[in-house]
Amino acid sequence: MPKVYDAIVVGSGACGGWAAMELASRGMKVLMLEAGSKVVPAQDFHHRFLYEMEFRGQGRPGSLRRYTGNERNYRIMLDSTENPYTTAPGTNYRWTRSRCLGGRTMHWARATDRMADYEFKAASRDGYGMDWAVDYAAMKPYYDRVERFIGVSGAMEGLPQFPDGVFLPAMPLNCAETIFTAASKSLGWRTTHRRLAQLTRMHNNRPPCHYCGNCVNGCDVGAMFNTVAVTLPPALKTGNLDVLTDSVVASVRMNAENRAQGVTYLERFTMKSIDVDAKFVILAASTLENTRLLLLSAKGGLANSSGLLGHYMMDQVGGGGVSGILPKLRGGPSRLDDGKSAGITIPNFQNIDKQTQRKDFIRGYVINATGGQTEYPQYAASVPGYGSAWKKEIKSRYVAQARVWNAGAEMLAQKENFVELDPEVKDHWGIPALKIHFTHSDNDRKLIADFQQKAEELFRKAGGEIIPGLGRGGPAGFPGGPGSPDANQGGRRDTLGGAIHEVGTARMSVDPKEGVLNSFCQTHDIPNLYVFGGNAFPSTGDKHPTLTMMALSARGCDHLREQAKKA
Amino acid sequence: MPSRRDVLDLAVRAAALPGGAEFFSAWLRAAAVDQDDHQHAPPEPPLLRNYQPKFFSPADFAALQALTEILIPTDDTPGAREAHCAHYIDYLLHAADDVAPDMQKQWRDAMAALQQAGFHTLDANGRAALVEEISKPERDRSATHPAFAAYRLIKQQNTFAFYTSRAGMIDALDYKGNSYNTTFPACDHPQHHVI
Repeated sequence: MPKVYDAIVVGSGACGGWAAMELASRGMKVLMLEAGSKVVPAQDFHHRFLYEMEFRGQGRPGSLRRYTGNERNYRIMLDSTENPYTTAPGTNYRWTRSRCLGGRTMHWARATDRMADYEFKAASRDGYGMDWAVDYAAMKPYYDRVERFIGVSGAMEGLPQFPDGVFLPAMPLNCAETIFTAASKSLGWRTTHRRLAQLTRMHNNRPPCHYCGNCVNGCDVGAMFNTVAVTLPPALKTGNLDVLTDSVVASVRMNAENRAQGVTYLERFTMKSIDVDAKFVILAASTLENTRLLLLSAKGGLANSSGLLGHYMMDQVGGGGVSGILPKLRGGPSRLDDGKSAGITIPNFQNIDKQTQRKDFIRGYVINATGGQTEYPQYAASVPGYGSAWKKEIKSRYVAQARVWNAGAEMLAQKENFVELDPEVKDHWGIPALKIHFTHSDNDRKLIADFQQKAEELFRKAGGEIIPGLGRGGPAGFPGGPGSPDANQGGRRDTLGGAIHEVGTARMSVDPKEGVLNSFCQTHDIPNLYVFGGNAFPSTGDKHPTLTMMALSARGCDHLREQAKKA
Repeated sequence: MPSRRDVLDLAVRAAALPGGAEFFSAWLRAAAVDQDDHQHAPPEPPLLRNYQPKFFSPADFAALQALTEILIPTDDTPGAREAHCAHYIDYLLHAADDVAPDMQKQWRDAMAALQQAGFHTLDANGRAALVEEISKPERDRSATHPAFAAYRLIKQQNTFAFYTSRAGMIDALDYKGNSYNTTFPACDHPQHHVI
């Protein structure tokens, strides 16, 4: 272990893994610190049927309440009794976290969308909020770089609000998705295959997807992008990367020259406190954990001359959705419908230009749809009756299941949504916990109400029968999808939040008075401190955020290396 | 009957013989079709096979077992009996000791309601008639029955126990996922491409 590393990367998720790979492969000596344990996919992830598990996926009664996972994947999730957070009165926010090598990349939904100038310059278009300090032209080379390396399946569409990328062949559509595509076309809405960081052919020495449908429980072969299978192996191969798991970072340490000296971490089990030094410190521990670390590292928060650290927290608006049956598919033979855990995407088609401008709300949302067999027939217990006739009805509906869901609509940035350190609650290591203040605006609610109306319109156009009271949709294991902890919450429209796309709290800005980070995710105040994740986002956009976080990280790494050369 | 591994070993060795490859590849395909069509799904662990109820009294367990089999009977596919649904429910509730007392009470109350309705002492025909009566509120919103909540609770958990068992998931529903596949089956139905 060198006395002073070139860079310390805190966290091993999508951004931490990318940063470690980029910097180590260019000769920098890097230390990666991960609070969770090591994961070995080939050993830890394998196909397990519900009946092979003692409690059929749900865990011993009461035992999994402290995890956001299920009996299959709770080991890579986070124990909320060790890692508490608090919420302000009126805040209904569930923070889904993971602590393991690879972080949330080990079980993520893999949706990989580029943002457009539709997002980056949204404030200039409709006057709300602040433009990003980057535009699409600045981001495109980095989107290209990330996509080429991780492998993204998708189809070219030529839509300016949904930019095309460097794609592997798209995943084929199942029967329900084909019907929804036809229905969407007849409504005049463009559709495409869900763009996924999931391989449809061999890529960079990784095998293609084998269509087991187990992605959110961890991929055993590395066919879906995750740190452990994709970015870590080449980084380790350089010999320039040290990885320490079970190392809980408590703060960034500063020196007298207003530069980050390094970090202090606690060994997870022994609680021993250790200092490590580096020329550069990169926080990549997830959006809110990054901000928590900045708040922990100095009175009033580190790199907080703007006073905006912690503010403008956002999470794409979840909620809404439709589940039911497509009668066209009733009674058909079973097919491997959920083997790709994917669906179709209907890119946002409102508020794109003057012709599509809505008077009642700004910004937009993306609609997703899928259907067919699932591991567990969530609808079964709600079907009236019993006996052989009931069994036949359950079987008849099995392949005809269908869902339209909202995986995340744009939530407006509001300063009043913020995180701070809780003055009383501490985690298992004695580190103050975060307190979250989070509510939705009228615009957010109007957006979801409009989504709900469009989702039902699509469902009806497809000839579907809506079944009220089922989960709000999404493939198996997704929030609200079959098998997820909130699958039985019904079509509750008040369950906003929970898209697990939390961003903001250290937004990027051209003017240091208006944000915490610059366009390279370098803090305005401390030149050798970078923050990679969703922190920099001045707005959520309507795309899944991970690819943009990674592209920003790639751009930040280029900038960091330039700074290192100058030094 | 040779195992799949035996068949594969034999085929590989035989294929090395002159002219053997073509013959044995056809034979291998035929042999594969002849075997269990659900080879991707391993057998169910023996957890419930010889399980002795620990939560319910013998009388309650017998009644629960009978009701689960009325709700999900054995017909051309396995039912609650083959899936050991009552055993699973007992196992789950026994495991809730000390951690989920509310859940245990809910089930004790349900079985008491079922007993009060007379289910425990009726013969098979009487039980079938009673279930028809208890379940009426499902079909007719104006109907009520004091044991309806018990019926719903048992139906809910029985449905879960059945369709998460191998008998329900694989034998009855023919679930194809959780398997290794070389391709994803694209929709090939022209009628699905038009509305």
